[in-house]
Amino acid sequence: MAELPTPDWMERYRQRVNEDPEMAVIGDWFSLDFKLAFEGDAWLLSVRAGRIVDIVHNPRFDRPARFTISAPMRVWTKFIRPDPEPLYHDFFAMLMRVPDFGIDGDSLAAMQNARALHRMMNILKTMEPLDGRS
Amino acid sequence: MADLEPVVGRYLNLESGGRRYRIYYEEAGEGRPLICLHTAGADSRQFRHVLNDADITGRFRVLAFDLPFHGRSNPPDEWWLERYRLTTDVYLGLIRDFWRALGLERPVVMGCSMGGAIVLKVAADHQDEITGIVGLESTAFAEGRDNDFLHHPAIHGGELAACYTYGLNGPDSPEEGCRENWWYYSQSGPGIYKGDVWFYCEDWDAREDIGRIDTNRCKVSLLTGEYDYSATPEMTRRVADAIPGCRFTVMKGIGHFPMVENYALFRGYLLEELARMA
Repeated sequence: MAELPTPDWMERYRQRVNEDPEMAVIGDWFSLDFKLAFEGDAWLLSVRAGRIVDIVHNPRFDRPARFTISAPMRVWTKFIRPDPEPLYHDFFAMLMRVPDFGIDGDSLAAMQNARALHRMMNILKTMEPLDGRS
Repeated sequence: MADLEPVVGRYLNLESGGRRYRIYYEEAGEGRPLICLHTAGADSRQFRHVLNDADITGRFRVLAFDLPFHGRSNPPDEWWLERYRLTTDVYLGLIRDFWRALGLERPVVMGCSMGGAIVLKVAADHQDEITGIVGLESTAFAEGRDNDFLHHPAIHGGELAACYTYGLNGPDSPEEGCRENWWYYSQSGPGIYKGDVWFYCEDWDAREDIGRIDTNRCKVSLLTGEYDYSATPEMTRRVADAIPGCRFTVMKGIGHFPMVENYALFRGYLLEELARMA
């Protein structure tokens, strides 16, 4: 049974991003707010210079985000796991081949920061699976 | 003693389609010619492991060239007056004129991705001049890879192309190989990857051509990575089904760039197919 990310899970994600040695090298220009939406349950990530400085669960309308990356839980659970099946193994793979996975909003800003954003998505893949499997 | 590789680089001045090109290629080995065609927006460095594999170079003269606009091959004259878009006719002509200029007899032609696509046309149109083809990640028709961000003034095209293609690697391929390919992709000229993708997604359609391939005259081996989401195993399966006598293998755990992302795993598949081509 898929479970939505918890505040602790998101905090561990923040730590992994902020402790990642590659993000420290490539993140200088990555400063914006974006959302990750899990089946409509949204987390706003405030990123400054490649570090997550703030996380807000289901932000109100006064916390705009440049873009939102969203998918239903049945897609996220296939992505966030150590042995993903083909088409669910990468952010860009899902953008091309998984119809329920998408970016809404300022996709230009997302692609301007493709390297750091892709790294953050690859770190997300390494998080504990949300369906309890490993 | 210097740790030199057996690979040698040369420049070939080549006329093709009425235009003059300065083509860079690398070669190693002796035996039947094996021409290697790189992927979109990349260059012949992707084949460095094949060029250094003594089990291959002991039987094949391996040659890998950079397409014009790629790697160390210059664009043709007045390139600045045209939007770069690779076409099937130009691509096929360059490959054919490369082997004819060097006097290569009955080569094996191996290509990956868009190279894996064009080898199908090579086989359809020149099957009496070649020994066979090895198509890596081959499709006769592909859609969906093009987008306007690939050449955009507000986006670093090299970084985007490199990241956009990074996910095409198998998830368990060694990071070193995947990062190496990332590096190659980061170095293509402005709009070159997009111009190659235009060929791959707009100009390329060999669904009728492949019906002309006679595997009694030209051997056909197709290898596609399990994790390739650009040229999926299902897409190559459709090609294989249209070519009686062709061999098709899905490479477990591999993605779109077998020769560079995970050569240790790929070489077993490759040696098996090359054994049929020697």
